[in-house]
Amino acid sequence: MALKKKGERLMNITKNREENKLTVTVEGKIDSVTAPEFEEFIKENIDGVTELTLDLSSLDYISSAGLRVLLLTQKRMNAQGTMKVTNVNETVSEIFEVTGFSDILTIG
Amino acid sequence: MKYKENGSELTIYFEGHIDSANAKEIEDEISAVKEKVRPDKLVIDCENLQYISSAGLRIVLRLMKEIKPITIVNVSSDVYEIFDMTGFTEMAEVRKAYRKVSVDGCEIIGKGANGTVFRIDRDTIVKVYVNPDSLPEIQRERELARKAFVLGIPTAIPYDVVRVGEGYGSVFELLSAKSLAEILSKDPGQFDSVLKYSVDLLKTIHSKELPKGEMPDCKATVLGWVDFLKDYLPEAQYNKLKALVEAVPEDNHIMHGDYHMKNVMLQDGEALLIDMDTLCLGHPVFEFGSIYNSYIGYSELDPENVRKFLGISFETAKQIWDRTVRSYFGSDDEDFIRSVKDKAKVVGYTRVMRRAIRRGSMSDPATLAVVNNCRKHFDELLPRVDTLEF
Repeated sequence: MALKKKGERLMNITKNREENKLTVTVEGKIDSVTAPEFEEFIKENIDGVTELTLDLSSLDYISSAGLRVLLLTQKRMNAQGTMKVTNVNETVSEIFEVTGFSDILTIG
Repeated sequence: MKYKENGSELTIYFEGHIDSANAKEIEDEISAVKEKVRPDKLVIDCENLQYISSAGLRIVLRLMKEIKPITIVNVSSDVYEIFDMTGFTEMAEVRKAYRKVSVDGCEIIGKGANGTVFRIDRDTIVKVYVNPDSLPEIQRERELARKAFVLGIPTAIPYDVVRVGEGYGSVFELLSAKSLAEILSKDPGQFDSVLKYSVDLLKTIHSKELPKGEMPDCKATVLGWVDFLKDYLPEAQYNKLKALVEAVPEDNHIMHGDYHMKNVMLQDGEALLIDMDTLCLGHPVFEFGSIYNSYIGYSELDPENVRKFLGISFETAKQIWDRTVRSYFGSDDEDFIRSVKDKAKVVGYTRVMRRAIRRGSMSDPATLAVVNNCRKHFDELLPRVDTLEF
C-alpha cells in the first residue's frame, strides 16, 4: 500500500438520509486514527434510524479499531432496526472473512 | 505417487496436472496404496496441484464413494475454483492453502519464546511461531482473541494464518503503541495514569461473560496445580487448599490469565489487551493470583526478576499490586484489602510452587528455596483463609 501524503485525508464520510433510512458511505481507511471520527459520526446521525446502510465500496482498509465501531453500531442497530453493509470490495471482504465478521454483519 | 500413513489415515499428494492423459495411471497408483494401507480416512493434499480436469475429479468422486471422510487440503485459489464450480466443496471438506508470506528482509519487531514478530507492510505484522507444529496452538489463540473481540474487549483482532517457510504465522495489524510497562519504566511519574488504564481494562475484561465451555475453565486449571502439589505439602494443608479451590463458585466471567503491564498496549489513548492465549472463564480470585505473581510472587526471592520482566523496580511492582487491589475494589478498608490479598496469594503460591518444582528439581537449592518460601506462606495463610470468594 502506498504511503499517503501528509495532510491527505485518510477517511471521508458522506451520508444520505431519507426519513428513517440512512446510508453512510465511508472512503479511505478506518484505523485507530480515523475510527474515533467514524464512531462520532455514527453516534451523531443514528437517532431515529431504523434502516442503516454502510456503503464500503471505496473503503481500502479497516483495522480492529474500525471493526469495533462496526460491532458497536451493529449492537445499537439490533436494538432499533436493521443494518446492512454493502459494496464490500475484495480486500475488506477478506478482512471480514478472516476475522469472522462475515458471520456477524449482514453483507449484501 | 507420494503418500503418508498416519494410523488409519492416509494422505495422498496430487501434483502438477491431472487430466485424461495421466488419470488412469494415477488411479491405479492410488488403488495400490489403498490395498496396502486400507485407510478409513483419506486426505488429499493439493499443495503442488496446478490443475485437475474432469477425469481427475472422477477419481476423487469414486474415492468419495469408497472412503468417508475425505478431506481435500492445501488447495490453491485456481484449483479451489474448480472444486467450487463442480460442487465438490459441498460434498467434501475442501480447505484452501494458507497464503504464503516471506519475511526475508522484513524488520523484526520483537522476539519471544514462541516466535518472532516481523513487520510485513505498513499496517501489518506477522508472528512467526518457532514450532512448525504450532497450527493448533495458533488456531486456539486466534479463536480466543476473536471471541474476546466480539464481546467488546479492546484488542487487536488477528487476521489470517499464513505459511512462512516450513512454519506458520499469524497476521495482526501493527499497533502504534507502547506497553504500559514500557511507559512506566521510562517515566515513573506516569504511575497514576498507567494504573488507571490497567485497572479500567481489567474491569472491562471481567465484566464480560460467556457460556460455560466457550473458553477454558480457570478453576479446573488451578485444581490441576493443587493436585500437582499433593506430594509436596502436608496432607492437612493439601486438603484445605483443595477444598478452598473446589469451593470457589462456578463463574463464567472472562479472565485474562496473565494480566500485567506488558500485556496492555496504549494506542491513541486507548488501552488494548494483547497475548490472548491464556484467556479463561472463572472467578476473579484466579486472576488476582496471577497478577500477584507477576508483580511479587515470582520475584520475592529475586527482586531482579521483575526488573528483567517488566523493567520496573520491585518496590514499584509492590505498589502496583497494592494499588491495583484497592482501585479495582474501590476500597481502602484495610481488613478487606488484606483478605483479598490473602486469597490471591493462596492461588499465587500454588502456582509458584508448582512451577518451581516442574522447572527445577528438589535437589537444586534454588528450587528448594522457592518451595520452602511457598510452604512458609501456606503455613501463615491457610489457617486464616476460609474462603477464596470475595
